Amino acid sequence: MPVRLIEPHEILSRRILAIDDEEANILLLRSLLEREGYGDIHTLTDPTAAAAAYADLAPDLVLLDLMMPQIDGFQLLEAFSRHDRADEFRPVLVLTADTTLQARRRALALGAKDFVAKPFDVIEVALRISNLLETRILYERLRQH
Amino acid sequence: MTGLRTRSSSRLWANRPLALKGLVVVALPLLILLGALVSLYLASNAETRAEADVRRAFAIQRDTYQVHALLAEAAAGVRGFALTREQQFLESYRKAEANIPATMTRLDRAIRDRVVRRHFEELRDLTVRKREGLRRIVALAENNARPSTDGALTQALKSNKVVLDQMRGAIDNIQRREAVLLEYRQARVEEVRQRFFKLTAISALVGLLGSLAAVYLFSTGIVRRVRTLEGSAERLARGEPLGYMPEETDEVGRLAQRLGRASALLRAREQQLRDSEERFRLVVDRVRDYGIFALDPGGVVASWNLGAERIKGWTADDILGEHFSRFYPHETRDFMPAQMLDRAREDGAAEDEGWRMRKDGTRFWANVVITALRDTDGTLRGFAKVTRDMTERRATEDALRSAREDAIAANLAKSEFLSRTSHELRTPMTAILGFGQLLEIDADEFAGHHRAAIEQIVKAGRHLLSLINDLLDISSIEAGGAELKLERLDLDGLLGEAYELAAPIVAAAGLDFRLVQPGTDGASYGDRRRVIQIILNLVGNAAKYARSGSYVSLGCTVDGGRICVMVEDDGPGIPSADIPRLFTAFDRLGQQDRTRIEGTGLGLALSKSLVESMGGTIGYDPLQRGARFWFTLPDGAGPTV
Repeated sequence: MPVRLIEPHEILSRRILAIDDEEANILLLRSLLEREGYGDIHTLTDPTAAAAAYADLAPDLVLLDLMMPQIDGFQLLEAFSRHDRADEFRPVLVLTADTTLQARRRALALGAKDFVAKPFDVIEVALRISNLLETRILYERLRQH
Repeated sequence: MTGLRTRSSSRLWANRPLALKGLVVVALPLLILLGALVSLYLASNAETRAEADVRRAFAIQRDTYQVHALLAEAAAGVRGFALTREQQFLESYRKAEANIPATMTRLDRAIRDRVVRRHFEELRDLTVRKREGLRRIVALAENNARPSTDGALTQALKSNKVVLDQMRGAIDNIQRREAVLLEYRQARVEEVRQRFFKLTAISALVGLLGSLAAVYLFSTGIVRRVRTLEGSAERLARGEPLGYMPEETDEVGRLAQRLGRASALLRAREQQLRDSEERFRLVVDRVRDYGIFALDPGGVVASWNLGAERIKGWTADDILGEHFSRFYPHETRDFMPAQMLDRAREDGAAEDEGWRMRKDGTRFWANVVITALRDTDGTLRGFAKVTRDMTERRATEDALRSAREDAIAANLAKSEFLSRTSHELRTPMTAILGFGQLLEIDADEFAGHHRAAIEQIVKAGRHLLSLINDLLDISSIEAGGAELKLERLDLDGLLGEAYELAAPIVAAAGLDFRLVQPGTDGASYGDRRRVIQIILNLVGNAAKYARSGSYVSLGCTVDGGRICVMVEDDGPGIPSADIPRLFTAFDRLGQQDRTRIEGTGLGLALSKSLVESMGGTIGYDPLQRGARFWFTLPDGAGPTV
């Protein structure tokens, strides 16, 4: 058993924003997150509203698709990093069907903290989400000290 | 015969050296002049002598008269004395006595003619007698102081008169003879004078002829030939052939011969040059694919070949004498031609590619090289211009470029298509597999037949995903878009890693997995991940299909420059009828019998694509019992293709 520095409810209470133009995927992510026990879940299928939602909701974690119409995930990554303060750790987990090396590199270079190819293993994604949130919480604690 | 002799004698003359000819030409008139002078001198002498004779004859006549006159006067005086005894009468007698001896002596000296001399001798005797007679009369008269009729005296006078008469006769004889002589001598003087005149005339004539002869000899021997020589030199200078080869052997002849040889040499060289020029001209003229022509230093077209005519449309008659700027289209005509010539002048040659005009006004794309032509002094003589019609090549190049661009675009489109396809196929798979997995996790909540259904959904979904992956893999390899990371691979390490990864699959099939290390520190060249992928595919196939056997072995041989990786099993092997279709996509062998065995049917096709993309080959050998799949890779030095 790994050492738990943070209580599970602290992680599960965090706000998660999922952005994907595919309704089915949003449904899947919501099902997965609810099943895991997350309580503050926001989803978005219209990428044009994503930047505003990001600013309004100030989520602790973003699940982001890359290939979307009108505004793609890369543009949103840029928009998010423009919005955030430099010392903030607000993780973005990219979930995409574009498995090419270029896409992976570009997303990570633009500030994505993790990258999982679709179709994904739901358990793996759930673990990565909790790990990223854990890191964010630790980072917040570090700043408060 | 005469003509021949004349010619051979003139040849003889012509062959004499110039020094001799000069001597003859100068000496001949001089000799003739000398002869004339000598003859003139002789003639003049003769005349002088003849004139002296005449003068002497006159002198003899005068002296004889004088003797006669003196004696006659003396006789008259003596007679007077004898009559008068007066001394004054003796004066003439004394004068005669004083003068006569000298006159006689003079006569004696002057007289040469024998007849005259005889008469003179007679005259001398008579003169002596006359003088003696006169002296006696004088003596008688002096002794007889008185003039009388003295008999002796009278006698003396009488005899004296006789002597005087005789003397007169002698003098007359002399005079007559001398008159004859004088006449003769005067005739002689006249004759001598005539001869002298003739001689002078002849001398003048001979001198004139001699001079003419000298002039003629000089002319034939030297002047005419030198003039011919000059003409030859002139022809030589103009480059014309010399008409004849002289045979004279004197200096002029030799000079002419040398000139002749020089001319022959010049003509031979000229001929060679002409031949070579002709050959070159023929070559240049016949060249069809290149327009080759010459420009003068100002850019005016000076020559024109078949290729130029073919490319540009102008015939030589049309274009010779025209400025070459006519070939340029109006937008470059004002500056391009001058620029090209300037560049050629400065750099030796200028090359350009661009539009040029044909005679009919159409354009063609030309490659042009202008080369400055300079002689050995470096003086610009003109330009050589070589033009090539590149229109077709340019069209071909354009077509190629556009084909390449199309291919690149098509490739991009294909990559784009693959990328989109990948995305479009994976996206629904995400929901299917994700929900399936979620259902699987909560399987306990479902009834048994639902659980089986969920299991089938997930299993089929995974199979579909692996199919999609393999298919996209093959497509991207065939599109050339596969990202191969080629590197040097050490065989021991590579096989070891593949063995570790494949071992669980073989173990799961209940088979023995053997690793046959190559035993050498050989190396290969390829993409490590892909090579392992191929080995895993082959080992996986063996594990799947050879369950009736006992083992699977992974090995490797190094043969020359090729590395061969082999996977063997002792299963049922492949039916020989199926071998040709082994590496074809979606051709799962014995599909009906093998439904229990899962696989996409793309594994071997993908392996084949991968092996070939790394420069190797893949194959299958049936074994006595079992199967052997192998693939080759280039050795560590790199791909051979």
